[in-house]
Amino acid sequence: MSATGRYQYLFNPLRIGPLTVRNRVVFSAHLTNYAADGMPTEQHAAYYAARAAGGAGLIITEEHSTHPTDWPYEKLIHGFNPAVIPGYRRITEAVHAHGTPILAQINHNGGQASSMFSRQPVWAPSPVPDPLFREVPKALEPHEIREVVAGYGLVAEHCVAGGFDGIELQCSHSSIVRGFLSPATNKRTDAYGGSLANRARLLLEIVDAVRAAIGPARALGVRICGDELIEGGTTIEDAVAIAQMVEAQGKVDYINTSIGVATATLYMIEASMQVPPGYAMFIPSAIRAAVSLPVVGVGRFKDPLQADRALAAGQADLIGVVRGQIADADFVAKARAGHATEIRTCLSCNQECVGRMGLNRWLGCIENPRTGREAVPLPAPRRRGQRVFVVGGGPGGLQAAVTAAERGHHVTLFERSDRLGGQVLLAASVPSRAEFLDITRNLVAHAQRAGVDVKLSTEVDADLLLAERPDAVILATGATPNAPWWAGGHPRVVDVRDVLEGRAVPAGKVIVVDELGFHQATSVAELLADRGCQVEVITNGMVVGQDLGVTLDMEQWNVKAAARGVTQATDLVPMGAAPADDGDGVVLSLQHHPTGTDQTRAVDWVVCAVHQRADDTLYRALLAARTGLPAGPHSPEGRQAGDLPFTVTRVGDCLSPRRAHAAVVEGQRAAVAIA
Amino acid sequence: MNPIDGDTDGKPEPPLSVVPPARAVACSASLTLTEPFTLREHTAPSRVLFGPHETNLARRRDISDRHVAYYARRAAGGAGVLVTETASVTADDWPYERAPLAADCGPGWAALAAAVRPHGTLVLAGLGHAGGQGSSAYSQSVLWAPSPVADAASRELPAELEQGGIDAVVAGFAAAAELAATAGLAGVEIDAGPLALLRQFHSGLTNHRGDGYGSDRLRLTREVLTAVRAALGPDGILSLRLCCDELAPWAGVTPEQAAEQVDALAGLGLLDLLVVTRGGPYSTTSYRPTSHTAPTFNRELCAAMRTAAAGRVPVVLQGSVVDVDDAEAALADGVADLVEMTRAQIADPELVAKARAGHAERVRPCLLCNQACRVRDNRNPIVSCVGEPRSGHETEDAPPEGTDHRPREVLVVGGGPAGLEAARVLASRGHGVTLAEAGERLGGALRTAAVGPGRERLALLTDWLAAECARLGVRFLFGRTVTAVDLDAAEAAGEAVILATGSVPADRVYPSPPGAATVPVVSALALLDGGVGVLPDGPVVVHDPVGGPVAVGIAEWLAGAGREVALVAPDQVAGTLLSLTGDLAPANTRLAQAGVRRELRSLVREAAAGRVVLEDVWTGARRDIPCAVLVDCGHRLPMEALYLQRPGTPRAGDCVAPRTALEAVLEGRRRALEVAASTGRPRRAPVGAGSAREGAAR
Repeated sequence: MSATGRYQYLFNPLRIGPLTVRNRVVFSAHLTNYAADGMPTEQHAAYYAARAAGGAGLIITEEHSTHPTDWPYEKLIHGFNPAVIPGYRRITEAVHAHGTPILAQINHNGGQASSMFSRQPVWAPSPVPDPLFREVPKALEPHEIREVVAGYGLVAEHCVAGGFDGIELQCSHSSIVRGFLSPATNKRTDAYGGSLANRARLLLEIVDAVRAAIGPARALGVRICGDELIEGGTTIEDAVAIAQMVEAQGKVDYINTSIGVATATLYMIEASMQVPPGYAMFIPSAIRAAVSLPVVGVGRFKDPLQADRALAAGQADLIGVVRGQIADADFVAKARAGHATEIRTCLSCNQECVGRMGLNRWLGCIENPRTGREAVPLPAPRRRGQRVFVVGGGPGGLQAAVTAAERGHHVTLFERSDRLGGQVLLAASVPSRAEFLDITRNLVAHAQRAGVDVKLSTEVDADLLLAERPDAVILATGATPNAPWWAGGHPRVVDVRDVLEGRAVPAGKVIVVDELGFHQATSVAELLADRGCQVEVITNGMVVGQDLGVTLDMEQWNVKAAARGVTQATDLVPMGAAPADDGDGVVLSLQHHPTGTDQTRAVDWVVCAVHQRADDTLYRALLAARTGLPAGPHSPEGRQAGDLPFTVTRVGDCLSPRRAHAAVVEGQRAAVAIA
Repeated sequence: MNPIDGDTDGKPEPPLSVVPPARAVACSASLTLTEPFTLREHTAPSRVLFGPHETNLARRRDISDRHVAYYARRAAGGAGVLVTETASVTADDWPYERAPLAADCGPGWAALAAAVRPHGTLVLAGLGHAGGQGSSAYSQSVLWAPSPVADAASRELPAELEQGGIDAVVAGFAAAAELAATAGLAGVEIDAGPLALLRQFHSGLTNHRGDGYGSDRLRLTREVLTAVRAALGPDGILSLRLCCDELAPWAGVTPEQAAEQVDALAGLGLLDLLVVTRGGPYSTTSYRPTSHTAPTFNRELCAAMRTAAAGRVPVVLQGSVVDVDDAEAALADGVADLVEMTRAQIADPELVAKARAGHAERVRPCLLCNQACRVRDNRNPIVSCVGEPRSGHETEDAPPEGTDHRPREVLVVGGGPAGLEAARVLASRGHGVTLAEAGERLGGALRTAAVGPGRERLALLTDWLAAECARLGVRFLFGRTVTAVDLDAAEAAGEAVILATGSVPADRVYPSPPGAATVPVVSALALLDGGVGVLPDGPVVVHDPVGGPVAVGIAEWLAGAGREVALVAPDQVAGTLLSLTGDLAPANTRLAQAGVRRELRSLVREAAAGRVVLEDVWTGARRDIPCAVLVDCGHRLPMEALYLQRPGTPRAGDCVAPRTALEAVLEGRRRALEVAASTGRPRRAPVGAGSAREGAAR
């Protein structure tokens, strides 16, 4: 059986109007924040070209604004400015070099915006403020509707001049067209409001204008929201009817789909690992049953086989794989070559892709340090064949070992325990976080392929390193729990790691103290509640799990917490933990810092999600071993450490305990820096 | 000419009403504030400093053309000393995306030096390192700090600086100072303030080191100052921005410790200027707080530090110094030798010039609202000002000042900030302006909103606009509702018209079961206008779907009046949009202290029979709370009845879409400049030409 034969449909070419795609995998539109001053950049070109080289069947760029009134976030491409055309050409030439068609998504975000950047009123069908931006928009006047339509036509012309193979109209989750389509935001009483036919009028006028601008030789797609998941919003019945109207118009070549409203229910658009894969496929399924145009389905496709099965089930004609190709640009090529197990599978953790978008930062990936940096090639190694010792088999050490081995060095990776993965193993041991394990599973597999010599259950000390005299030492020795000052040595005040590693088995009433604001506290709370504990999560901040909002996990956390009876309290600072008068429990003293009032909680256990201590024992030992230099203040990172016969670099938690991405980035950087 | 002449209803003209009084500002003949001040071989033309602050004006990490225009405007307006946006002295420090990097600032500093030279203002390069209060988001590198203590806001754990890193910081400061001097700046200011690595070394909160930088917490600062002085040479001005109170007395820098630090640092003989500030890891927003903190709050602190400095170093009062009187008093009372008036000069770049000319009352007031000038935000907003929207946009917005040689008659309909700004700009350019206000007073919704603790300063802007309009000869008509007939008459008479009619309540419907007694609903503005007395007795539910300052202000105000108050919001915190102003945590603290119950992540589903039913936004779980009256703080709708009768008439502010004072002032100004630029017989723009009026395409 040929490699592609493993897949029944994935590699069948498909006609999309005037285009033919070589496979069914679409790198569909998503924000990147790579634009600068409203212009597409070299980074855009390199980013898309990498996915084209990696085999994507079709690429659809991020949105380009069709009008100056539309500027909801800083790094939006100003498609209405003709100065974009050279940047467009750079993108399309880079992608076409790999034989891949590329469409431009053009859009006006309508009321889902603010005037912060445009300094002009926000335009929308009706003065209904957006749930996120909360700015009352200006209800479009008739001449302004014509101007919106003309803007789409103009930008379509720019896209043609820029070499795009077609256009996608984002009418789905953040768009003025969605605003008109949705009864929740369209309160008009004129010909653009009321009936679905009226609400769809703007869409059909835009399709007319864009088709007129691009002619018959380019593809035109419309992306429709199948369910806005808001009160009074568009539902699947409306979406099917809209798709039928679009098809009947005869000017559109395909239908793309999505779910949710970006400014209300984003957590369902870019679902994290808390949402099951394929969750939105009811939408393309329903539309595909009603129209004959090709239909694109999306929603957490991580695996080519999963995509093939959705095609086999007739749910869609094409599958959007965005995060899967952010994590691994060669997603398609590896599947085609029969090496799907080598794909660096997306975790759906949303930490560095989705999470950075909302913060106006460039798009990256927790496990792919090249994502977002495609335009800046890594320097070639000056020498190969260096002997590199990496100490510690968590994500930082694994990434360092993989990168060093790929750059031609002889790498030995030492891990103290009998298993690679470091704290990722713990984080992923909570059922709803299981997919997080993919980060080290991918790295372990990669390390094997790259020929890293892995020594498990091996403790490394300074003597060993000084005796072996490798050329470079990369320390990735991780971190250890650090009991907070107020714990007072109470045996039932334990760390999250104590629970996840099985050293402590809390029961009864448990308080989880969240001083990290991420998954540590909420994961262990969920786990303990499932074991029957009565759990309260407290934080000194204003919100428990403050950064869960960034990764779109906040909603599910709160729903799960409520379902499990987990309660939450904020603004509380632990001041002491005393033994209970009766039994083995803990009396936790708390101060409500806004009011300065004191509280106590009598519980059976307290679990701390607090900062760890860097495990830099080996680093200190190496510094102490330097000849001719006293121990004490130390050399900066990355430089020769005194008179040691090798360079020493710390990466990840042993430098400072942080999240996995820091370990991965530093692991790669340390490996690249090996002379 | 009276634009209402065409009124055919035969009613007599309402009399011209008395214009509200302007702010009382003492106009003494000569102000210490505007006197020159000598620093080393340099003379500052006034004793007013424009302090370093985030602007997001950088193109990348530079001092950009936009910076130069922004600063040069303040220099032209009389600023004595100007400190540029703090630049990072080492590349690992990248606290926000547009944070300048000293190594990239040379050309920008040189351009600024050239631009400012004619005005005599002394320009100092702001130099700093954010340490553990930085961000790894842009550098993708670990943060470095005195000790591994996580920042209270970001919760990111930094690594402990090693000797090599400390040496690099010292060298970075010195190299940056040399670059600034080479660029032609008068000197530098070193940041040891609320967001600075040097302060982290000074503080027991963040410095747990066991080495010589821990036992002697000033050691790094001393090393930096010594190296910078060497780099600057004897002529360069060396200023230090020093946190003198971290507001965390259990381990932070206290005023007593700071006095010792000031004594020690002044004794080095290296410093030429000392700026006294406050704020630490738990209180960064107390550095430049909103109007909920009284102006000149650092007076005592500054006076104590001036005593500690004992004449060895001139001392600058920082901290919400926004009124000329307050500034002058601080100098007269010996609190300080100079005053930092940063936000005041964002609001009015000509503050010093106006004060010097004896027209302090003409200074556009700073509201201490922080709505547009505080831009430490991921979205990278450009620094600006609600009352002076050209601030920060000097390179793109034409100045509203000027003289039009073909004066016109203009009717402005509505006396809120949009209408007042339109009238002010037109009158200042020589046009004849009549402003018709339907009510009996000027200021619109902004004036109404100026109720309650910390909200009073909002009135300063409308009062100033009104006073300027009066000074410039705008004719006011009160109690006049302008009709379409009036507009037609104005057009027939060749007059231009600008509509600024404001907003109306949205009349939100809160469902109630059939037969149940309804709960009275009062709109926020109606409550503020009518006073607490308009509410029936019993528990008040303040419904805030917006998350802005209005509902928080009302809840505080009602609680202060002794009412039982619950604030209902769909978010996880109250006043969620206040994060931009820095008032988010303080507002929630004030609400907690005032006993306002916060019913968060909740929708109001029903209001009936003395209760409201709330629904959790995520779980859908319902609960109810007592409610005698519901205050609707939701969005309003445009008052557009007049516009819809004569579509295409130029309009500004809330009658386009109800937003904030910033948009009102900006649009009022734009409409005025468009009218001023139009020649010949005024015409309402034909339908189809709308976009040109809403502002030119960028």
